[in-house]
Amino acid sequence: MPGPRDIPDEPPPFLGTWPRVYLAVLIYLGLIIAICYGFTRALE
Amino acid sequence: MSTLDWIVLFGTLASIVTYGLYRSRGSNTVDRFLLAGKTMPWYAMALSIMATQASAVTFISTTGQSYVDGMRFVQFYFGLPIAMVILCATVVPVFHRAKVFTAYEYLEQRFDSKTRALASVIFLCQRGLSAGLTLYAPAIVLSAILGWPDRVTIALMGLTVIMYTSLGGVKAVTWSDVQQMCIIFLGLVASLVTVIVLLPHSISFPDAMYLAGAAGRLNAVTTHFDWNDRFTLWSGLIGGTFLFLSYFGCDQSQVQRYLTGSSIEQSRLSLIFNAVAKIPMQFFILFIGAMVFVFYLFVQPPVLFEQAALSRIQTSGDYGAVNDQYARAFEQRKQAAFQLIEAHHAHDSALESRQIAEYRSAQRAIDNVRDRAAKLVETTGGERGFSDTNYIFLSFVTRYLPVGLVGLVIAVMFAATMSASAGEINSLATVSMIDLYRRYFRKEASDHHYLMASRWATIFWGAYAIASAGFGRKLGSLIVAVNVLGSLFYGSLLGVFGLAFFFRGVRGTAAFWGMLAGEAVVFWAFFFTGISFLWYNVIGCAVVIATALSITYATGNSQAHVN
Repeated sequence: MPGPRDIPDEPPPFLGTWPRVYLAVLIYLGLIIAICYGFTRALE
Repeated sequence: MSTLDWIVLFGTLASIVTYGLYRSRGSNTVDRFLLAGKTMPWYAMALSIMATQASAVTFISTTGQSYVDGMRFVQFYFGLPIAMVILCATVVPVFHRAKVFTAYEYLEQRFDSKTRALASVIFLCQRGLSAGLTLYAPAIVLSAILGWPDRVTIALMGLTVIMYTSLGGVKAVTWSDVQQMCIIFLGLVASLVTVIVLLPHSISFPDAMYLAGAAGRLNAVTTHFDWNDRFTLWSGLIGGTFLFLSYFGCDQSQVQRYLTGSSIEQSRLSLIFNAVAKIPMQFFILFIGAMVFVFYLFVQPPVLFEQAALSRIQTSGDYGAVNDQYARAFEQRKQAAFQLIEAHHAHDSALESRQIAEYRSAQRAIDNVRDRAAKLVETTGGERGFSDTNYIFLSFVTRYLPVGLVGLVIAVMFAATMSASAGEINSLATVSMIDLYRRYFRKEASDHHYLMASRWATIFWGAYAIASAGFGRKLGSLIVAVNVLGSLFYGSLLGVFGLAFFFRGVRGTAAFWGMLAGEAVVFWAFFFTGISFLWYNVIGCAVVIATALSITYATGNSQAHVN
């Protein structure tokens, strides 16, 4: 089995590090749910 | 369909197949045939992942779902971004560094050969079953439009997919998917614009949204907790996360898409793209269904959307009464909708409340007549539990879309089916070849031998999908049927990968028996409880991990710990 250094872990092209990208995705999910909730409440 | 529609349909399909085969030149080794030589850019993988998941079922059934039940189905996808983040952080780098062809190959590196074999067989059962359903969906399209037998359509679609998948491998599948997704986006936008344009002149877009909302068709989020309710915020966030972890982390039809990436970064970006784009896309599709509902407030739809069922009940003596009642209920609802809009514009809240009650009452009357018509289908010898949800959107497309656009939307259905089916067949062939044939039957053979074996496995699974597609009619709402089938098997797969990644002390035998216990409990829940299918993934995963840990401790191996 190849060693863990065989394939390097490159940084993402935006936000600098992968944990920051993951955090941005989770914040985005929160926003989407909030928007869908507001959409439902406003139009039901 | 008009001549122009036929030209658009066949021109689109021919260009997809030709483009896929053109881009797949040089797929003449096993590595290139099954993993595209690990050269794919992130955007191609991202669109391929999306296309593989978005089958024709997505468009046929999801739009019908929002027509009859509103947009609650979107909550099903709330777990997807969470799952993608977890997979990017854990699974993607591990699979890349293990240099595997399949996800199950990694299980032998981590556990043993029997665990790998069991996981492979579970995948083949699950994906093999749904491969037939994926092909069945467009058969509804053509049987509704042309009166062709389902089986002819299934065979035509299946043979086309077999041709480009067996010749070009994963590269042909991926590049075809890219083009297919572009056509799908185009078709979706054109459908929404058309349905809005077709609304009466006195009904503006905000009015249409107001009417859809008042009838409960824009209820995207429901916050109550109910184990038996399929689509709530909580089942989406918790159950959906587990389902998508299983689907994107343990299902070879998806894992193979991002294993073709040229680097860990490229594979991660393809998943992040899906994390961001998937919910808005599903929302958009559901919204089209809600707008079709509004359109049919002002144009009388058939009492049943499936033509064959409608023809059947027209021979019944009760049909005349049902039809008269339906026409009266429709007129009543139409008037109620106009009066509600007037009250809304007048800003008279008391009047508006009364009109909302009247409008909803008229909607219930329509639903009751449709229920009567559905029962009439049963009493005239039709299928039990009849549902025409899958015919609603198609019925609208063929009756009201302009010439040319009908061909494009039908091409979208075909493109979606071909992309999903090609991904499934390609992954089934890969697992059969790598995890079973090469592992147990021919351990030492030339690369050319394995390449040819992969092509034959592709042809076999394509033929199997065509043969099993005939069972689709018996499974009700297709989008739900596909997800229920997946959920019967995904929990165990997720559990064993969870053990592999997070419980370093667990060995192969414990993982193997854990998987069997997980499957047993999930099937028990399916047959003997009313628990919603989204929870099967959570239950299956939990049982696998609990059983494996218990066996590990009971057999004296106390090294099991969370890594």
